[in-house]
Amino acid sequence: MFRNNYDNDSVTFSPQGRIFQVEYAQEAVKQGSVVVGIVSKTHAVLAALKRNAEELSSYQKKIIPIDSHYGVALAGLASDARVLSNFMKQQSLASRLTYDRPILLSEITHRIGDRAQTNTQHYGKRPYGVGLLIAGVDAKGPHLFEFQPSGVTQEMVACGIGARSQMARTYLERNLEQFEGASREELVKHALKALKESLSQDKELTVDNTSVGVGGVKEDFRLYEGQEISGWLETTFENTNTAPEPEAGEGMEVDS
Amino acid sequence: MNHLPQAWGRPRDDIYGAYNHSHLAPGQPTTHTKSPIVTGTSVIALKFRDGVVIAADNLASYGSLARFTDVKRLRKFNDKAVLGFGGDVSDMQYLDRHLNALAVRENYSSGSGAGEKASSTSAEASEEERAESLDNEGAGTGMAANNLHKYLQKLLYRRRSDFNPLWNHILIAGLSTPDPKVPDATPQPFLKSVDLLGTAFGAPSLATGFGAHLAQPILRRVVPDEEAVKKIDEKTAVEAVRECMKVLWYRDARSLDRYSLAIVTGEGVRLSEDERVEGQSWEFAEGIRGYGTQVV
Amino acid sequence: MTSIGTGYDLSNSVFSPDGRNFQVEYASKAVESGGTAIGIRCKDGVVLALEKLVTSKLLKPGANKRISTVDRNMGVVSSGLTPDGRHFVSRARDEAAQWRSLYKAPIPTAALANRMGSYVQAYTLYSSVRPFGVTAIIGGWDSEVEVPVDGQVGAGPAVGAGGKEEGEKHGGPYLYMIEPSGLYWGYYGAATGKGRQAAKSELEKLDLAAGNLTLEEGVKEAARIIYVAHEDSKDKEFELEMTWVSSLSGPTKGRHEEVPKKLREEAERLAKKSLEGDDDEDDKPEAEKMEE
Repeated sequence: MFRNNYDNDSVTFSPQGRIFQVEYAQEAVKQGSVVVGIVSKTHAVLAALKRNAEELSSYQKKIIPIDSHYGVALAGLASDARVLSNFMKQQSLASRLTYDRPILLSEITHRIGDRAQTNTQHYGKRPYGVGLLIAGVDAKGPHLFEFQPSGVTQEMVACGIGARSQMARTYLERNLEQFEGASREELVKHALKALKESLSQDKELTVDNTSVGVGGVKEDFRLYEGQEISGWLETTFENTNTAPEPEAGEGMEVDS
Repeated sequence: MNHLPQAWGRPRDDIYGAYNHSHLAPGQPTTHTKSPIVTGTSVIALKFRDGVVIAADNLASYGSLARFTDVKRLRKFNDKAVLGFGGDVSDMQYLDRHLNALAVRENYSSGSGAGEKASSTSAEASEEERAESLDNEGAGTGMAANNLHKYLQKLLYRRRSDFNPLWNHILIAGLSTPDPKVPDATPQPFLKSVDLLGTAFGAPSLATGFGAHLAQPILRRVVPDEEAVKKIDEKTAVEAVRECMKVLWYRDARSLDRYSLAIVTGEGVRLSEDERVEGQSWEFAEGIRGYGTQVV
Repeated sequence: MTSIGTGYDLSNSVFSPDGRNFQVEYASKAVESGGTAIGIRCKDGVVLALEKLVTSKLLKPGANKRISTVDRNMGVVSSGLTPDGRHFVSRARDEAAQWRSLYKAPIPTAALANRMGSYVQAYTLYSSVRPFGVTAIIGGWDSEVEVPVDGQVGAGPAVGAGGKEEGEKHGGPYLYMIEPSGLYWGYYGAATGKGRQAAKSELEKLDLAAGNLTLEEGVKEAARIIYVAHEDSKDKEFELEMTWVSSLSGPTKGRHEEVPKKLREEAERLAKKSLEGDDDEDDKPEAEKMEE
């Protein structure tokens, strides 16, 4: 039933000093659909691919605005992300309420990191099965953080997590130099392009399955979905794939 | 004779009678501090174009007794905020330690070092902390005066809601964080107060204690509103505050002619704890009933 | 490791027949793969340095600091699982804050090492937890100034409370290293992580026990040693992170701070130079060391 004796729980080290349960939790992140984040000198952008369980169901939420200055994108167990995002919302509000200041992104990231660490050191708990990208702007400027189930948190210039995200990361690494000076629109384009890289051959980015989150130095973090992103999709991929068309196409398939 | 362990070492009931529990007031409600003991009097402060001036004398009174004459009631929190404490001195010392812990905490997140330097009231400032306050490089992103004020407001309100108030009236003077959404916004002069009930209040000039009656009218003549704040410079503001310290020394029996004065501007905090009321003249007192020999 | 697979290594807090706690040994394995961390106790301060391996090009350069401030005058660097390192630091901060609120003075380095040793040890006692996957190095400067009486009003009494001795010296630089077992020792020079063997042998050459090394020399040696320790994994990129703490009269004024950028870059330049010298002629770096 088990691959070895050392992977039953998160309180057992393997002889190599590894904790298999934590590593398995990282696998759950790779099951989730891909999300991408990039920062420039002035903006922080998240882009995500949404999945729907079936044709008639709604799409799974991938980007959650937390406070007016930042939001998160998730890959993995959505319910774990909800627990963490609720915690983040509470902590962010508490910061505004008691200190009259927006919480620092580094601070909130560390807090969920510390919470996740606890789950890896005590019996009866399981590691969180979700990875997060935390993006926004605080008193120290725009930031992007990555959170992993192990409790590892890292500040990134750009990042992609989730299924097939390696392709997105390759794109990001290749274009790394352009991000810092990029404008808001350019940054969104890069994020969408990176996202596209991770898509399987038969898939397209559409207004239905794509989410974009943007925060800036003079701009609150906001989630963009549906028709709001059609302009970006058009200019990024220069295709005519606006909303009605793919729907018609899919409709045909169902009929036949 | 009672041999039970709980009776060991106690006066014997058969000789001394049963212990009278009544003075323990059983069944009475729990009470906390119902009045301050050692107190500081007024703190006064005034906003000007580029910052804030704040002053408080160095006296801690025990009732009407001038008990301690070198208690510093201004506390520098960092480069952007100075606090002035009126009211109970032991509660001030408690808050001082509490804010010290807060400053240590604030310095974790500003990275290793590079953050702000915090200091302590001299009431318990060690030489270590004195040395720290001399070195003020990082403006950093740490707490500005408005952050500190909000925190103290919540703290004092919480304590009064627990029926256990911290018996202070505090002025928070300094600079506020600029609005990030306004382009090129600069830190603005900040002055607000919070009292033992958690009441928060801001104005171009503020005074606690007797100063609210004696100094506030004078300060209001200098800065009646926010518009006036923009027109006066540091020199005018400092002179007005010094004048008020003199008036307070003349008319407030719980005051002292030695005081501390701090000026907070974009360049940081200049705190002097050894100021004196200069040019005293008590001639006016001759005409006051109750002073000197009674005439008629 | 002969007992692997016999079942005695599957749970924490269980002894094997030959008296070993395997889970603790395995935790140490996690440390052995981490970036090298070192601490040097100099005569006028302590330096902490870390080889931070760059695992991805996408990481923000210069961010992700791993050496933490625990109290004004104290820092912690750890090697191993980074989230465990944060757990360790967060507990250390709590201990330091609690000490301050109880004793109204900063915690001495030795006392913090003791408390953290006990804390880490507790994680080897129960099957419901796992040991820490980190070895942590604590460096601090204990204040040499006499602590005033708390709540002292005004200047206070001229004579301090309780058994003060004329001319007695307090404080100084201290360095401790705590292992996953909870074991800790005081050190002149401590090293842990992947390159610890190389780092240790370099530290031993410095004759730190003599107490002649100055803090600034210590910074340069620390940078050099991290570079030497990195030699074995040369193909991977790394960032050097360094912090220091000195006396009140020293460069950090009794605080634990990051080593200023200029000094760090100078130290890195020298470190690289001495490594290049290593390849050309083996005698030269020895000669350089003799100068110190």
